[in-house]
Amino acid sequence: MEIQPSDLGLVARVAGLGKHYGTGAGAVTALEDVSLGLRRGEFTAIMGPSGSGKSTLMHIMAGLDSATTGRVWLGDTEITELPDGALTVLRRRRVGFVFQAFNLVPTLDALGNVLLPFELDGRRPTREERALIDGLVERLGLADRLRHRPHELSGGQQQRVATARALATRPDLVFADEPTGNLDSRTGREVLEILADASRTHGQSIAMVTHDPIAASHADRILFLADGRIVRDAQRTSAEEIATYMLSMERAA
Amino acid sequence: MIGRLRSGQGPTLLVATIASAFGVALLQVTGYLGSAMRADDVTGSSGTAALMLAIVAWVFIVIAVYVSGIVTANTVATVVAGRTRQIALLRLLGSTARAQRGAIAREGLAIGAIGAVLGLVVGTLVAIGLAEWAAAADVLPRVDHAWADPVVLSPAIVAVLITWLAAWAGSRRVLAVRPSEALGNAAARSQEELAGRRGRTATAATLATVGTLLLLLGVALGLVTPLGVLVGLLGGVLSFTGIVLGAHVVMPPILRLVGRALGTSPSARLAAENAVRHPERSSRMTIGLVIGVTLVTMFAVAMESYRDLLFAATEDRPDLRAGIEQMVSATVAVFGILVGFSALIAAVGLVNTLSLSVLQRTRELGLLRALGFERRQLRAMVLAESTALTAAATVTGLVLGTFYGWAGAQSLLGSVQGEPLVILPSIPWGVVGVLIVAAGVLTLVASLAPSRRATAVSPVAALAIE
Repeated sequence: MEIQPSDLGLVARVAGLGKHYGTGAGAVTALEDVSLGLRRGEFTAIMGPSGSGKSTLMHIMAGLDSATTGRVWLGDTEITELPDGALTVLRRRRVGFVFQAFNLVPTLDALGNVLLPFELDGRRPTREERALIDGLVERLGLADRLRHRPHELSGGQQQRVATARALATRPDLVFADEPTGNLDSRTGREVLEILADASRTHGQSIAMVTHDPIAASHADRILFLADGRIVRDAQRTSAEEIATYMLSMERAA
Repeated sequence: MIGRLRSGQGPTLLVATIASAFGVALLQVTGYLGSAMRADDVTGSSGTAALMLAIVAWVFIVIAVYVSGIVTANTVATVVAGRTRQIALLRLLGSTARAQRGAIAREGLAIGAIGAVLGLVVGTLVAIGLAEWAAAADVLPRVDHAWADPVVLSPAIVAVLITWLAAWAGSRRVLAVRPSEALGNAAARSQEELAGRRGRTATAATLATVGTLLLLLGVALGLVTPLGVLVGLLGGVLSFTGIVLGAHVVMPPILRLVGRALGTSPSARLAAENAVRHPERSSRMTIGLVIGVTLVTMFAVAMESYRDLLFAATEDRPDLRAGIEQMVSATVAVFGILVGFSALIAAVGLVNTLSLSVLQRTRELGLLRALGFERRQLRAMVLAESTALTAAATVTGLVLGTFYGWAGAQSLLGSVQGEPLVILPSIPWGVVGVLIVAAGVLTLVASLAPSRRATAVSPVAALAIE
């Protein structure tokens, strides 16, 4: 019997992953033979310069895009060849997203946005989930903002609503794509602390794509990508060390 | 110049062409009927009859042109709302708002002119075809008629002017675009401006109140004299103008009500919110249909009530009934077709605006897909949004039309038996059925293109930074 990712303590895994666009002389390689596993309960940062393939990697791991070669697992489910409908249900139940541009549904109020993944699944939160949501809302300071529409909220508040939405379903994995890119540094730090706290106290697995060394310094593990390959796999380290390494990567390029 | 309509060009041209062709055909046909009457004149009354025909024709032309103006203004406003960033970028680079708006208006003028010429040709050909058919079928004698009467140019010219004016009015938002909007990362929430609305709302409320009072007065007078219908007519015109003018107040609550009736599934709830997301836009999308449905229903209800009254009066003469029936159906059919053109123009506008609105939400659709909305649910959402719009318009039109039709019948016929008579509104189920089926078809047609585009959106679209 094949070894399952969960046997290795992994929440997501890719093996021999490649992503190529176009053919012939104009072909572009976004990812080349990437193999990695994200450990359950860990906050992982994926770093790299623009064009390094970090966004493509995240899209494929989240079931938003398909790989050209290689295999992809989320939990113990291999999603490489999964049809669109099954991927959609998988995203709904087992993946959470936090985006750079917040991406709340403008016609729903804050609470409506947080509850949207449950509604899409055609159910109401259980009592346990409801307690979790209330706790999140409390901790994120959104209690008196629940009836506000996104355009009535500040950027930081919108991102906190988006974070609550991503965490509320206790997904296997939360993907965060430059979550602090549109925030000032203080609000950005708050959002990062919320993510790190969810990982620490609830064992929430998180994968964050970023090119901000300060953001990455909140993570337990940092993967560096360059030209579609993983070039370094580091444990938690300081923003200064990350920045130095990023600069050396830029110089080498 | 980026301030062009592009995606709004096709529908705007179609609307200008239909309005112009309809007007030209109607004037050509009434002109031809005038020639036929003069050829056959024994009573010397043909002058008056021709004048009456021309007046009736112009009433319908004005309705069609008015609806086409609303539709074009809405199309332009929707296109402009979707291009805020581009307009802001040009402003940032030094273009003036007036220059940008001027370009849009000039384009409206050009499209209107092309549509008018097409309409002139199509309308005249249709009229000649009808005359040939009438002569062949022995409905009318074959008469000499000068088709190149300069009078028929007038609806074409009106169509040009209205398209120009509507493009100008619809592009008002260009002035409100700030150059800095080109820099912002977050999508600008285009709250449509409230200025100038208060005056319009007050005028609309006054017209509706005064009109309704006059209408009720007409109904009361109608109990003793048929002249009550003249007071009622004035009241009807005023109150309906008030409702059309105040569409931005009247339609959103109805849309909300209909939206709530769609159910509580996430698709339905989002669709209900989407239908009132831009209240001004939704009001203009639906009001053209409301006008059409109201007028058709009004004629049908009034004629049905009239028929029932005639039937009651001729209980002992069943031989007359076939004739009455035929006269009523023919009148309803003719009015239905005449008003139907305005409804067609409104339908073109609804299909196009819904399509543009959905296209402008690419990012949000991608988000829904990323969060786990299935393609099926997206399709259901677009269909529900389309349903909310057409159902709100149809229901409003049916209710208003029944009321106006009844008021017309009551004020005209309440005194015919020498003593005050209360007429119950007779519902023409056939016409109501046709209207509901047409609304259903429109709902489906309007949702086709946007739902195809919506399901083609990749969830990655939500992650892309603009």
